[in-house]
Amino acid sequence: MSKTTTSDFQKGMFIEFRKEVHQIVNFQHVNPGKGSAFVRTKLKNVKTGNTIEFTYKSGEDVEQVPVFIREMQYLYKTDNQLYFMDKDNFEQFQISGESIADFRHFLKEGNIYQLYVHRDEILGLKPPKKVKLKVIEAEVGIKGNTVTGAKKTVLVETGFKVQVPLFIKEGDIIAINPETGEYLERVN
Amino acid sequence: MPTWRQIKDDQSLWDIFYFRQEIISLVREYFHQQNFLELFTPILVPSVIPESYVDIFTTTLLDRNLKKNKRFLIPSPEVSIKKLLVAGLSKCFEIARVFRNRESGSSFHYYEFTSLEWYRTQASYLDILEDCQNLIIYIFQKLKKKYPKRFNKKYLNIQNYKIDLSLPWQMITVSQALKKFCQISFDEITDRNNKKNFFPLSLIRKIAFKKGYKVEVNNTWEEIFNQIYLNEIEPYLGTDGRPTIIYDYPAPVAALAKLKKDDKRIAERFEVYFGRIELADCCTELTDYKEQKKRFRQNLLQIKKSGKNPIIADLDFLEALKSGLPDCAGIALGVDRLIMILGNYSFISDTLLTYN
Repeated sequence: MSKTTTSDFQKGMFIEFRKEVHQIVNFQHVNPGKGSAFVRTKLKNVKTGNTIEFTYKSGEDVEQVPVFIREMQYLYKTDNQLYFMDKDNFEQFQISGESIADFRHFLKEGNIYQLYVHRDEILGLKPPKKVKLKVIEAEVGIKGNTVTGAKKTVLVETGFKVQVPLFIKEGDIIAINPETGEYLERVN
Repeated sequence: MPTWRQIKDDQSLWDIFYFRQEIISLVREYFHQQNFLELFTPILVPSVIPESYVDIFTTTLLDRNLKKNKRFLIPSPEVSIKKLLVAGLSKCFEIARVFRNRESGSSFHYYEFTSLEWYRTQASYLDILEDCQNLIIYIFQKLKKKYPKRFNKKYLNIQNYKIDLSLPWQMITVSQALKKFCQISFDEITDRNNKKNFFPLSLIRKIAFKKGYKVEVNNTWEEIFNQIYLNEIEPYLGTDGRPTIIYDYPAPVAALAKLKKDDKRIAERFEVYFGRIELADCCTELTDYKEQKKRFRQNLLQIKKSGKNPIIADLDFLEALKSGLPDCAGIALGVDRLIMILGNYSFISDTLLTYN
């Protein structure tokens, strides 16, 4: 652990809050009327996935938790546990489904992901900007429907349903923004 | 955050400018109807009042011989207005462009913003509260007529909250809020019998520490109090279906306010909240020249200590107070925030023309 202050805050940074590791989801500077400066943060407990708000005094000391990013392959899931393997040393790790929150809709066995690790423990997954997944179920677009912006729903290989333009068909690979769950583009 | 390029590409972005202008026109209309005089006081001034929590913009005024003079951009027009109250004015308002440095990284602050301030003499904060409620309701009624599709008839949507503007608004004292949201009694954090210092640090430190806050040697009473306030009280203000008026603040968080006659620990100040957004800050003004001089000194010291931009203290304001500021009350209302609240914008910058 290392001491830092609120002026070094960054989105995604890991800090200790009330004895547990939290990730800074976002933060805002606030000044109450006729008062000194404060920093309002939204913190995510990496173990439980719960989000809380906490307001620090501007300049307050905070413990930063050293977290490394390791690339790992997603192996499989049992009950609510997800198993990953470090490709360099074949070491296996497990993590509860909650800790990766909504990203579980996009996890594909065999794919490589970036994981946050602190003292040999996985704290969470760093979601990529986009995920590429195969469409496994799609209605055929209705011919002659040329209304711009028309959408339909398709199913991708991880079981997630997403709204896409009408030209997408079964077997296509599409890119999705995992943060919003929105379709981005056709890849193939 | 529209820039001219974005507006050129997307003409719908003009909406915010018309909406802003409509609200400002309604503010003027309301105050003209109430016989308030509109003021335009100087924005570039030779000195300011020392307030330890604001960082002031400085610039240099050159005369024809290149002789340099320091000038400041006002953080609020209140000093000039109060001087005019001393000179004999009684009901007045100003919509001023004001400046505060070091206000980045926030959805609710901007270094250059518009402040609406109005004052009444022979009045207290309760009179201003009435003005404030009437003004906002007036604007809302007129906007509903002008933009029938944009507004719900009964309530205002502010982010996740539905706020009904009809009276009465929710009223809560700071002392009641401490009890309700933090389980602290005001007597626990103050010492009523200690005439020299009602606010010994040891009491509030103990409570903050028990609650799990980090308390450092150099933390002031105001910092510790405000941290508890921001964490445990503010998240609930203006979220219960009505705007909230929170009033009667502890003296250390009301620098220019008059203290209550029957309890000198409490200052006559209120704030108005809409769905967690602080819109306005009002107080019955301090008129005591000696007390003001004392607070000047304390604030100057704090500015020096905190490394903020050094200022030249407005001694002319002390002179004005000495010659007699009548009993009065005034308020500062963030116009950009009013636009955010009425238009349901999430960022103050959504309401402004920006250059990058």
